[in-house]
Amino acid sequence: MLTEIREGKTLNSVVKHITQEKIDLYAEASGDFNPIHVDESFAATTPLGGTIAHGMLNLAYVSEMMTSAFGRNWLAEGKLRAKFKEPARPGDTLTINGKIGCVEKKDDVSYANCNFECCNQKGEIIVTGETIVKLSSDKE
Amino acid sequence: MPIKTISYEELIPGYKFPPATYELSTSLVSKYLNAVGSAGDEFVPPLAITACAIAAMTGSLSLPPGTIAIHASQELEFFKLVPIGATIECHTTVAQKITRGKMSMLILELEVLDKGKEKVQSGKATIALPT
Repeated sequence: MLTEIREGKTLNSVVKHITQEKIDLYAEASGDFNPIHVDESFAATTPLGGTIAHGMLNLAYVSEMMTSAFGRNWLAEGKLRAKFKEPARPGDTLTINGKIGCVEKKDDVSYANCNFECCNQKGEIIVTGETIVKLSSDKE
Repeated sequence: MPIKTISYEELIPGYKFPPATYELSTSLVSKYLNAVGSAGDEFVPPLAITACAIAAMTGSLSLPPGTIAIHASQELEFFKLVPIGATIECHTTVAQKITRGKMSMLILELEVLDKGKEKVQSGKATIALPT
């Protein structure tokens, strides 16, 4: 968990290597067997040219970074907004970076607004977005 | 009982997918944590809950052969901690269906309730379907 919450504070990065095996495991766990994720011969015939990781798998890594930084505050009352820019493919290494953009107080409740990016090993942005975490209430 | 499916062509704004109920058992959560390579605790990762909501929708939607569906954006809001073993009910509604040239976009609203009908999570998913 973060010991200091302030504007500009960097969150601990999460690094994950994507493999077809991990994509298949995610398909099994989530029940999402969309062939673009799991059928290599079908995916090869599409404009994407091969299988891609589930967008929700990429977001699970973002959530891991947020949980590591904010613990149950994230799990209980987090907000997330994400745009998928490029697909993550088997063989990619994803790095999820985030930082606190600002800390705001609304109605006696403090919130951390964070920005995040998920990039592949070439530096291409795979996912970008913002999160908001409720930190504390003066009434609590 | 086979899952009743609806075709993409039949979807209209306001259409509600059949609600799906999941018991977030230790084995289901462990399987999810193993797949995403994360450690867990006594509460269910919120993205595991979203995965259930999305699976409930994709399981009852049939796309034209050869069509690919790509996640374009996602919004989520979590409202409470969900303990392992809880039962959730996932509701998905078609908010918009847009066709622009060779690209179709489906905007879906997700809502997840617990057994006491309290809101656990809500969200919006945009799915792109290039044709």
